[in-house]
Amino acid sequence: MATSLSPVRPQLHRTVLDNGLVVLVTENPVADIVAARLFVRAGTGHEQVAESGLFALMTALLTKGTDRFSSMEIAEQVESLGASLSSDTSADYSLLSLKTVSADFEPMLSLAAHLLRSPTFPEAELDLEQRLTLQSIRSMQEQPFTVAYNALRAAMYGDHPYARPGIGTAETVSSFTQTQLQHVHATYFRPDNLVISICGRISPEQAVDLVTTYLGEWQAPVDPIPELVYPNLPNQPSQQVIPQDTNQSIVIVGYQAPPVKHPIYAVLKLISTYLGNGLSSRLFVELREKRGLAYDVSAFYPTRLGMSQFVAYMGTAPDNAEIALEGLRYETERLVTESLTPEELATTKSKLLGQYALGKQTNTQIAQLLGWYEVLGLGTGFDQGFQAAIAAITLEELQAAAQDCFLAPYTVQLGPAQ
Amino acid sequence: MLGASIQSLNSAILWINPTLIILITLPTTSAFPATVNHLDSGLTLIHHPMPTTPVVVADVWVNAGARAEPDDWTGMAHFLEHMIFKGTETLLPGQFDYAIEAQGGTSNAATSHDYAHFYMTVAAAHLADTLPHLADLVLHAAIPADEFVRERHVVLEELRQSQDDPDWLGLQALSEQVYPSHPYGRSVLGAVEHLEGFSPETMRQFHRAHYQPENMTVVIAGGIALEPALEIMRHSFRGFPVATDCPAPSDSKAQRWQGVRRQTLHLPRLEQARLLMAWCGPGMAQLDDACGMDLLSALLAEGRSSRLVRELREERQWVLDISSGFSLQKDASLFTLQAWLTPDKITAVETLICDRLAELTYVPIDAAELARAKRLLCNDFAFSTETPGQLAGLYGYYSMVGDPADSYTYTERVQAHTGLSLAALAQRFLSPDSYAATVLLPQG
Repeated sequence: MATSLSPVRPQLHRTVLDNGLVVLVTENPVADIVAARLFVRAGTGHEQVAESGLFALMTALLTKGTDRFSSMEIAEQVESLGASLSSDTSADYSLLSLKTVSADFEPMLSLAAHLLRSPTFPEAELDLEQRLTLQSIRSMQEQPFTVAYNALRAAMYGDHPYARPGIGTAETVSSFTQTQLQHVHATYFRPDNLVISICGRISPEQAVDLVTTYLGEWQAPVDPIPELVYPNLPNQPSQQVIPQDTNQSIVIVGYQAPPVKHPIYAVLKLISTYLGNGLSSRLFVELREKRGLAYDVSAFYPTRLGMSQFVAYMGTAPDNAEIALEGLRYETERLVTESLTPEELATTKSKLLGQYALGKQTNTQIAQLLGWYEVLGLGTGFDQGFQAAIAAITLEELQAAAQDCFLAPYTVQLGPAQ
Repeated sequence: MLGASIQSLNSAILWINPTLIILITLPTTSAFPATVNHLDSGLTLIHHPMPTTPVVVADVWVNAGARAEPDDWTGMAHFLEHMIFKGTETLLPGQFDYAIEAQGGTSNAATSHDYAHFYMTVAAAHLADTLPHLADLVLHAAIPADEFVRERHVVLEELRQSQDDPDWLGLQALSEQVYPSHPYGRSVLGAVEHLEGFSPETMRQFHRAHYQPENMTVVIAGGIALEPALEIMRHSFRGFPVATDCPAPSDSKAQRWQGVRRQTLHLPRLEQARLLMAWCGPGMAQLDDACGMDLLSALLAEGRSSRLVRELREERQWVLDISSGFSLQKDASLFTLQAWLTPDKITAVETLICDRLAELTYVPIDAAELARAKRLLCNDFAFSTETPGQLAGLYGYYSMVGDPADSYTYTERVQAHTGLSLAALAQRFLSPDSYAATVLLPQG
């Protein structure tokens, strides 16, 4: 039934330019909008401990000065067109995003290409961005969930770069120099490490022509791209209690979980939907609807190139923190010994596939998802393959995945000292 | 902005869904592309066909937000929104949620001051067998006593979570300053002592009084034609409850004032001071003015090249960030400026902002700057009418606070403004001598 939510799917065109740059184009003429995502295959996952926050700072500065334009000139070009342009970094990639009405796409792509190739990281802008970042790092302490989740991540990942928030720490961020930013940019921002995903009212030929015009002459350096080697993960589950003077306690349970290329990736996505997605999800029904323990209760399993984590969490009255933790663990670990009913399996599949379809219907969403899959090296067939994999999951596979994954929980309780 | 994020700053949703947004058709002209249909029952249906999408959004808007609450019933509208999902004589609690989600759809709800609304996204083919259930929930909520007690805990958790969020606390305190004698000044979530005093019977009274056809608009947007949509509507929305009396909200006014209202809150765990400033702006009856206020908001603090961001963040570096907000409500709008900064810069920033507001009234606004702001808002409007869910939000919101057809006059009204008309609005509504200021400082 859920497949009926998929629109007539626009065709994905994949082209590799001579310099190694991958162009993905999905033509969608319905709205007068073009969205583009320019992905670089490197993100915070490439940072050593002392470099924590380097990619976030570098990508923030991409729009703050080049060999031709000042920060304000760049902002004026974007804003005078009423377009949006932003840069960001994530665990496995860095990104420039843009969205325009169709007629403005060429000037915006031209600008984005220039920003990618020729940022200068001006000292004055670097100083300002460092100061702003340091303040943002402090502001994270204001959000109880963020504090608790950062503690969980640190415990679960140890020396692994996924341990740290992408924004970095006060020590690392204040230590970065212009030379470091230039170095990391020169190392990873190169055409053979770039994926441009475009979706909207534009033909594949037009889109490839434009990308060729603005980035086709860019030559990759001879040096190979440094290989990524992740450190081992901790294997000592911890139970952290963080005293904070909050009105609500935050309770989080995390289990180490496999990367996107692992065979049970789709199975864990399905379990995450079963436990944590929507008003009919297991955690919502058992802990919120039947017991009134929470307003926000859910689970998530991020898609990661390296080791991921399966997380269940809720906010609850401080007096309920203990039973909340028991409840989250019970509902998750129950799947190790108890099978779902066939009906539960079928409805969870429908739910996941329906929401998957609903989640890729704007130009921005399509450009993001398909570009992301390419950057992760999953191939153009992954979008369909993933849905087929979900449809084929059996009760036995689901239980086996739970048995692999839900063994050794890391926990965090944040709230008033008892 | 009116076009892009029409939800009021102060609204609460039923559950937090981190993933969703839907499809795809941009109206090519600024003519109102939907139809407004009045059913025999008194109910209004707004229909927008989008033949290229397989999805339908049905969104039921009720003119019964926190604005409708008597003074000692705060939180009732929002608590009721939660209880709507707790079943009817024919639907068990959770049965609707399960039916929608098992088919790959989603549902949610939200409450603000001027409205509550209940919406679902389903495959077009499923509208006929799911809309009757949504209608049954909204019209015939049973409000069972045991569910009532349990759900109150959920609402109290929602309130606790908000109270740990300094930005929510700041905005709440600011709203009280701007609207001391109007429900817009109160939290939609309500006061604990009121919530604890409610009974299922008082809630049923509120429900039966307000959930009447003349108070309701249903928006259906997506892959369905008008005739079948009307047919499904007539079949679904039947048997409205018999209207009962309910205490009315007190007669209150949103009024502008003379002088500066100032307060300082000391909050635990605060790492970053905030300066929030607010003005009471035009209501829905003055929509042209409201669109002009949206332009002023963009001109002042939307984007790095806007006046205050450029001067305060990029050049003087007095603030970590500064943003503006314009939230249009039925009776009056809220114009806000919010700066994140260190405590020692608060006075200087406030003084400079007041000076720049005064300047708006006597230094002509540059043509290029005005054009930039207009283009920004008009593109934002286009970007926010891409999906049936966005359109349902737009039409429903306008039908609650004004006229649905006005939604598509937005870009026209924005384009009609001139430097002079904006200067006059600044003079009238953004006084540097009369405003509310809330300062958040770390405790201790």
